[in-house]
Formats: sequence, structure tokens, C-alpha cells
Amino acid sequence: MEGKEILEHEVIIVGGGLSGLRAALAAGKKGSDVAIISKVHPLRSHSVAAQGGINASLANVPEAEDDTWKDHAFDTVKGSDYLADQDAVEAMCKDAPDIVLELEHMGTVFSRLEDGKIAQRPFGGAGVPRTCYAADRTGHNLLNTLYEQTVAKSLDSYNEYFVTSLVTEDKKIQGLVAWDIEKGRLVGFSADAVVLATGGYGRIYNRSTNALINTGDGAYLAYEAGVALEDMEFIQFHPTTLYGSNILMTEGARGEGGYLKNTEGERFMKDYAPDAMELAPRDIVARAIITEAEEGRAFEDEYVHLDLRHLGEEKISERLPGIRQIAQDFAGVDPVEEPIPVQPGQHYSMGGIDVNIDGETEIDGLYAVGECACVSVHGANRLGGNSLLETVVFGRRTGKKIGEDLKEEEKDKEKIEKAIEKDREEIDRLLSGEGEVIYSEVMKELRETMFEHFGVYRQEGSMKEGLSKVRELKKKFDSVYIDNENEKFNTALVRTLELKSMVNTAEVVALGSLEREESRGSHYRRDHPERRDDEYLYHTMVEKTEEGPELYYEDVTLGQFEVKEREY
Amino acid sequence: MKFKIYRFDGEEESYDTYDVPNEEGQTVLDALFYIQENIDDSLSFRYSCRGAVCGSCAMLIDKVPRLACRTQVKKVKEIKSDIEDYEALKEGGGLSDEYVLIEPLPHLEVKKDLIVNMEKFFKNYEKIKPFLQSDEEPEKEHLMDPEKVEELEDYTNCILCAACFGACPVNGENEDYIGPAALAKLYRFHIDSREDEEIERLELADHEDGWWACDFYTNCMKVCPKDVPPNFAIGSSRQQLEEKKDEED
Repeated sequence: MEGKEILEHEVIIVGGGLSGLRAALAAGKKGSDVAIISKVHPLRSHSVAAQGGINASLANVPEAEDDTWKDHAFDTVKGSDYLADQDAVEAMCKDAPDIVLELEHMGTVFSRLEDGKIAQRPFGGAGVPRTCYAADRTGHNLLNTLYEQTVAKSLDSYNEYFVTSLVTEDKKIQGLVAWDIEKGRLVGFSADAVVLATGGYGRIYNRSTNALINTGDGAYLAYEAGVALEDMEFIQFHPTTLYGSNILMTEGARGEGGYLKNTEGERFMKDYAPDAMELAPRDIVARAIITEAEEGRAFEDEYVHLDLRHLGEEKISERLPGIRQIAQDFAGVDPVEEPIPVQPGQHYSMGGIDVNIDGETEIDGLYAVGECACVSVHGANRLGGNSLLETVVFGRRTGKKIGEDLKEEEKDKEKIEKAIEKDREEIDRLLSGEGEVIYSEVMKELRETMFEHFGVYRQEGSMKEGLSKVRELKKKFDSVYIDNENEKFNTALVRTLELKSMVNTAEVVALGSLEREESRGSHYRRDHPERRDDEYLYHTMVEKTEEGPELYYEDVTLGQFEVKEREY
Repeated sequence: MKFKIYRFDGEEESYDTYDVPNEEGQTVLDALFYIQENIDDSLSFRYSCRGAVCGSCAMLIDKVPRLACRTQVKKVKEIKSDIEDYEALKEGGGLSDEYVLIEPLPHLEVKKDLIVNMEKFFKNYEKIKPFLQSDEEPEKEHLMDPEKVEELEDYTNCILCAACFGACPVNGENEDYIGPAALAKLYRFHIDSREDEEIERLELADHEDGWWACDFYTNCMKVCPKDVPPNFAIGSSRQQLEEKKDEED
């Protein structure tokens, strides 16, 4: 019989990616006792995979010498199809230059211009070259820098712990329960503040650029605790993912001048976005590729070509070395010699846990930041280079806010103990070997269902069918079992716990998509191809109730940028 | 293709062999998932990005430390490795054309199946104070020469997967050797033009378990999935330390 261990920390950050580490560093600055809990070692977080860059109006290159945070904010709001909250966008874009310089001071090796300043490249949906980068390994470099800072500050970190429940009392956080993956035991934690920084829910789709670990765990935990999930139907499909493995081929490849071509060798973007061409926002380019495929102009009906050959070996090796390596390793294609086969794939979760500009949820002491949260700065479509920016800007803001607000209160340990007992029952059930279906079967079906029914193009009939399939799969979770009893490093058990997050978040994505009878940003309804501001210039909120998920709408915070038609 | 996999449940060691259907573009990581999802869900291994950037899945594949996600099953038998043989490779299962042999990374304690204890590896990383130490606080960014950045990138590309640690014969012989990755990281900060000149970084590893432990087998560079050359960093650092000592004498 395991003891009910309860560890105490003032602040617990769940997730060790950029948002989590930046929040931890800021919260720890005031001397608070901060611990990070992550289901993987922090350096294995999905932030590491971000390639292209981070936006800031540094105005370092001649074409961008007049760039300001306002221009950045305008591009972001327009890119969002006007669904972003403009106060949050302003805050992010104002903070951007400072936070990029801070990262540089901490040690990030950004790519440089000849004059030694941080280099900036053009990215989709941006008026001028605004994206700072470290070759095409920007996330890797930033994550290493922040991790190095946590080492310098000796922050505590519980690696390979999977959080199974949040514990709240009267809308106040008490702590959480986590499964220690290595030892195979549940541990309770009490905390005055908990920050969810768990990343997106991309892996509910079968074609995804995301790490395999992006399963929406934080969104699910918050939802279970009674916090609304916001705008979950807005799923970004990246236009260029490697055919086969769906590994990301950065937008930077087009930023550096790469072409998209169909089977006829045409740069087909001329028919969809004649001015922006390959650098139109991601939603537009992704739909263009699917349309090319539907009209018979894709290779094997599946993919188009990302052609970099005209850039030459030197530029490809210098600016896009990671892309070249991935194309060679995973598709056997050297982009210097051959075009890269690409197709759209799920890439980013615009929606997430409803938070305000300081990362606060409606539960006192519970915060969320990064891709698992919805501030909302991306609205219906995120611009490339804004996700890394969001993680660090709001990570820092949230961490600071916690430092200011932290109040020590007696925690309800009995409630944490009860939560341990409840989670123990579920794990015992899963490990009992009794059930009807294994996790992977349900996971596979879920992913296929989501891509088929809630993909790049959507329509009512198909989505209704999709929603009922998702609900069946959610029911099936109750009869999932694991065929081995070893509690230590039980990878199958962790995958099964992730599946629980996945079926629940998928249901919310499905509901939001079905109810939004318009097309906006990444959400494209064939049966409602127009944007309908009168009815839907609102955020979708879904809350868990005893009767099931309840959907309602909330106002978008408008501001200096007038809502207009979005043309590129 | 058959896979012969090292198993350890915390008490007993064994090898299990599984038959995995071939698929176009299949990686070793895909094959491990196939086994876990369809044949034996007790198989444990680490994974995350599946795109050779996160460094989770380094393991011994046919006696060569590699990332499982970056290794195409079809090519395992084709690619020749030119790494120097070492003690750890002589232990465990034998090679065969009949199967792909999968074992945990050497030189680290095995926790379960293909999962090793990375604590030692990260302790060594921490020993070299892996963070920039700069007193300058420029109003904007530090200016850096693009060529300097290129030189730095050779080392910042390290994903701390520990493949080099498992491939280095010296790590097998000397428990205290901090290993190629930590030394490459140290060198990365040493050559960073932003670091204070006063800091004597190289001296952090100026001992028999640091720079001077290396025997230049160069396995580290050969197995690195990101082409980081720790052996160059080590050679260069030794030379600089020697020059400095000569000056002092």
C-alpha cells in the first residue's frame, strides 16, 4: 500500500517548454519556491521543434526600418481574422522587442546581419521582415537558453511526472496529483499557485507536425476543474509538412524564397493570393494546396512540391540547414537537388484554456500560458513567428503576476488525498487487464476521425457524423485496458492517460466547429463560406457541466484596428 | 523485419524478438510503437518529437548509438558505421542479418527496457556551468560577427541526446569522465564573444576527468545526429590551455 505523499511548493509549473520555463524564472525571481513538473525532461518539450523564428519589431533590416509594434499588432489582428483580443495583441507586440533582447542577453545565439545585429526574415502575413531567428532551429536555441537559466537558478524540477488531477476548493487551487512515471506511484502536491503550460492538443489529429506528446493534457485538466475552453475549433493546418511523416517544413523556407508548385509545375498561389503568393497566411496556403489536390493537380493526389532549388546550396545550407537534414533523413530528398514533397498537416492549437492577459483563469491561483492557453492573441489564425513570442511574453507576465499575488493559505490536504485515491482507482482499473479495447485502437480512430471530419475543410453533415464518432470513442475510453501490470515506466499507461485528455478535448473541438456557422481564419465551412461578423465575431466558450459540455459566446475585445475584410 | 530487443523489468534481463511488418519510410521508433501498440504493451522507451530534434530516443541500434526516430529501418543494414569498437559493444546480444538489435544506450544505468538513467549525463552538463556569463548589459543586442555565429552553431546544435556519451570508449572506462557533450557545451560558452573575458571557462574541465581524459576515438562526432564535433572542441581547448601554461612558465 503506497503512502499518500504530499509535497509542498508555493508555485508549481506544469510543463517545461518555453512558457513553463519562462514563467518559472519570473515567478522564482521574487524568491518564491517554484517547482516544475513535466511528463518529459524539459528539453524534450515540443518548443524545441519550432523552426522559423520569433517576431519583434526590432527594425533591424533596411526594408523594415520604420517597423513598429503597431504594425506588428495590425498584422497579427488581421491575420487572426479579427478574432484576437486587441488588448492582448498590443501587450504582446509592445513587449516583443524587449523580450527578444532579453533572450539574446541570456545567451541565445540568434542569426546575425553583416552589421552584427539580430537578423530578421520575412514571414507569412507580415508586412515587413520581422521574424528573428536562429537558423531554422529557433525553438531549440530558445529552449536551451531558458533551460540553462533554470540550471543557473537551481530550480526544482520533477521530470517524468504526469499530472492526473487538479485539486480545487471553492474556486481556489489547492494542489494537484501526479503519476510518477519512473516509480509508478501517485504523488500529491500542494501549491498556492499552479501554472498550466502543457502545450497544444495537436495529436488529436493523425497528420500533425506536433511532437507525439502534444495531447491536450493541460486543457483537459482545466476543463475538468471547471474552467472554460475558448475557441477550440480553431486548429491551424500548416501548409508545408513533409509528406509521409508530416514533420514541419518551416514557413522560413518560403520566407527565404521557396516556391510551391503543382503537378503542372505552376506556382499555383497566384490563383489564391496574387500579391502575397507563397507568403499568404497559413490558412490560405493550406486551403490552396487541398484545392489543388481535389482538382487533380497534386502528386499522387496527396502532395505538392516545395521547391528550393533556385536558392542554391549555399543559402539552403546557411539559412535552412535543419530543413535540408530533415528532408534527407525522413524523405530521402536533398532540397538542393529535388523539390520537397509537402502537404498540409495539423500544426497549432489556437484555442485553449480561457485566461486573461496575466494568465489568470477563473480559479483563484490557477494560471495557464502558452499554447494550452487562449489569451487570445491568435484568434482564428496564428501568424508564423507569433507562437514563440506568445510563450515568452505571457510566460514572463504570468510569472511576474504570481510573484506579486502569491498568498500563503492553508491547503485542504484531505482533498488532495481523496484525489489521489480516486486517481489510484482509475489506474488500478486500467492496469487490471480487464476491458475490451486497447488504447492505441481508440487513439488511431480518434485521430482519423478528427482529420476527416474537422480538417482543413468542414461541413455540417460530416461534422455531425464526426461528433457522434468522437462521443462513441469517449465512451470507449471507459473500457480501455492495459495488458501489463508493471507500474514502473509503463509507457502504455501514460499513453492511455493521454488518450483521456485527447477524447475530451476532441469533443470540445468538434462542438465548437459544428456550432460556428461561418468561415473565419483556419475554420473553413464549405456550407458557410462567408465570415459572419454579426453572428460570430465572438469567442466560443465551452464549459463542463453535469449535463455535459455547455457552449456559449463571449465578446471579442476590439480596439484600434477596425474589423475589415481580410485580403492578401 | 524482426527486432531483437533488450528487456529489463527492474529485476530480470532478457531479449525478446518481434516481427514487425515493413512500411515505407518506417523508422526504428515507428517499429517500437508498432510493437507496443500491437504485440507487447509492456515495452518501454522514451520518445517525444519523432523528428530528430528533442534528443529523447538515443539507443543502441545494431551496436551503434543512434536516435530511433532518425533511423530508417530499411537502411539499418545498409549504413556502415565507422565507429571504433569498445568494451560495451562486446556485451549483450550479437548482431545478425536476421534481425535489428535494439539495446539501451551504454554507460548509463538501465532503468527499464530501453530507458536509461540520464542523471549522470545531466550532472556532468551542470558541472560546466552551462549558461552565459556576461556583465555587459547593452541597451540592445550584443553585436556578433555572423561568422562567429556560424562557428557557435556547430556546438549550439547539440540536442543533449547522450548518443556520444554512449559511444565514447573513455566513458566506459572512466566513470568520472564528464564526456563529449558536456565538453562541447563548455566550449560553446568559451568561444561565445559575449562572455566576459575574465571568466576562465576552460579551467572548469582542466583535469583528468575533463579535457585530458579524451583519447580521440572520435566516436562522439561520428554518432552525433547533429554533426557536433566534440573532439575538435577538446583538441582546441587542450592547445589553448597548454599555450597558456607555457606563457605562465
